[in-house]
Amino acid sequence: MSSVLALGLAVVAAIIGYYVYARYVDEKIIKVDPKKATPAKMYMDGVDFMPTGKHVLFGYQFKSIAALGPVTGPIVAMQWGWLPGLLWIVFGTFFIGWVQDYVSAIVGLRNDGQSFGALSYRLISPRGRLTLLAFIYFYLILIVAAFGDMVASMMAKLPSVPLAIIALMAVGMLSGWMIYKKKIDILVTTAVMVLLALFAIWLGSVVPIPASKLVWVVFALLFSYLGAVLPIWSYTQPINYISFYLVFLGMLGAIIGIVVGQPNFTAPAFTTYTIGAGPLWPILFVTIACGAVSGWHSLVSSSGTARQLQNEADTRYVAGGSMFLEMVLATIALIIAGAAFSNFDAYKAALKGGPATVFSVGMAKFFGFIGIPESFGTVFAGAMFVILAITVMQLVVRFARIATAELAGDAVPAFRNQHVGAVVTCLIVFGLIYTNTWSYIWTLFGGSNQLMASLALLMASIWLASQKKNHAWTMWPALFMFITTISALALTARSLILNVGKLQAGTLKPAAGQTVGLAVGGNAVAAAIAIFLMVAALILIYDGLKMYFKVRGETQLPKAPAAQAAPGDD
Amino acid sequence: MLFWGKGKGAKGEAGKAEAGEAEGRQTAGSVVREFVYGMAAHDMTRYALKTRSSMEHLFILITMGDLLGVPILPPYYSLRLLPYVVPQIATWKRRMLREKDITDALF
Repeated sequence: MSSVLALGLAVVAAIIGYYVYARYVDEKIIKVDPKKATPAKMYMDGVDFMPTGKHVLFGYQFKSIAALGPVTGPIVAMQWGWLPGLLWIVFGTFFIGWVQDYVSAIVGLRNDGQSFGALSYRLISPRGRLTLLAFIYFYLILIVAAFGDMVASMMAKLPSVPLAIIALMAVGMLSGWMIYKKKIDILVTTAVMVLLALFAIWLGSVVPIPASKLVWVVFALLFSYLGAVLPIWSYTQPINYISFYLVFLGMLGAIIGIVVGQPNFTAPAFTTYTIGAGPLWPILFVTIACGAVSGWHSLVSSSGTARQLQNEADTRYVAGGSMFLEMVLATIALIIAGAAFSNFDAYKAALKGGPATVFSVGMAKFFGFIGIPESFGTVFAGAMFVILAITVMQLVVRFARIATAELAGDAVPAFRNQHVGAVVTCLIVFGLIYTNTWSYIWTLFGGSNQLMASLALLMASIWLASQKKNHAWTMWPALFMFITTISALALTARSLILNVGKLQAGTLKPAAGQTVGLAVGGNAVAAAIAIFLMVAALILIYDGLKMYFKVRGETQLPKAPAAQAAPGDD
Repeated sequence: MLFWGKGKGAKGEAGKAEAGEAEGRQTAGSVVREFVYGMAAHDMTRYALKTRSSMEHLFILITMGDLLGVPILPPYYSLRLLPYVVPQIATWKRRMLREKDITDALF
């Protein structure tokens, strides 16, 4: 099958989803009111609450949700063949993905722009808030571990990439200095720095830096540590800013490459039900997270976007539309994995170097269709992948540093020190990467991500029920995601616990460079995180369902208390 | 907006984009420009605003803390500074007293 046809199908599904299903929900169920004052207008403080144009917010929302998730998941899921992945991306987005992004923004909009912590306190239970925040903390740690592992594996496999990344650090810092200190026009700075970054990528292709994975793990964490402790304007921001243009150019190149080259899928439509990572259900559904459904999006929609929407009627375009666009991005990643290699064995061989290697080699092939040399294309795609990962990593480590100070600062004053908080976060991540298998970390990350989505959908269902609105369109997806992700986490926890036993019995050998003790400890810690996430989610779901039935009962019998209180009832 | 367009962008459009009135006049070029700005630099603008506001709020907390029950300066100085701070007191109190959680640190 032609990959252009798959891309076309995804685009058609996005158009139908946006103009038919999303419009129906928007107009008939939510009944958005363009004249209603949004939190951005009611509580404008010039910072968090700020009315912003819908096209600006569309770009903001899309950039915030489209990181490495929609790229990596489909590449890994190609092991089941291209059809299961494509179906999940399309149907997952159509029935669940956009619903979650959109309804999270609507719940925020109609509740004074409250964040999920406050909403869970009110809509679920008082203990729900703390449970949810602890859940989010571990979920974010898993993001850094999953991304850090991929980055390091790829830089070890493709030694032409590291120099480009090191140069990008320098270019980014120089940009910050030029913009903020020297007040040089931002367009001039952008043009010069993007050209410099492209030169650095070319330089990387001629000056490789070979080193082991361990070295690049330390490098990636050092990069994130600097992002967490340096002033944000001097390091994180300008690097992310310049990186954006490289990613934008790369995506544009890939789309043009697919349309020009029109490659056919070389991978089979379906391989087998159970692969090394586990069975198709539930593992595929957590492997492709962000391209279909992602809990991260609900955080962006509620804490970020809902406070900036200047018109309720913009919500479908901003939150729903950007998710449908991400579906197209995930389909492109699927095509890279399924159509760029000469045969399925070549894909499997590349996957041994990690999904990042598949991405780089595959993208380079598509760049080739528009005349870009393969050596430059591989480094460019590799740098693009690292950028997508590392820009999120540094923000999350920065956030984890703040969260550590907030959560543990009173008990242990040392945690208030920014260096201590950042170093502790980096050490936890290092431990997870060094002592575990990437596929388990990715499944844990995907599972917690999707679980977050089901919690967001449950919270939205409770709110919709309390407003006497139809909530089947959020409740069924919430239940489906909950059952699927709990099963995936349980399966992963079981595999990790079995690994501990096998390592102790000597039937499983630890990875190269690892001792048995380290491998046992790493697997045990990962299993403990999986169990913690499951317990936290079960508490939230129990409290949430209790509240849901209570609210629904009140909705169905609104006059019951008055009737009971009426005199002479006995 | 802080960058790109020197004050004519998204942030400045709050008032003029009432009820979608301005939307009808937008050209394809301005839509693309806003979209790219949203992806590339909207974050930076928000961070810059957050940095400035945290400084301002700290200043108001020091000078007008007794409004929230945290007296730091003697009332004489607070009263002398009051006229300069009045326009910001409403949003300052709202931001100080609004419940925040760790997701606020992310976006």
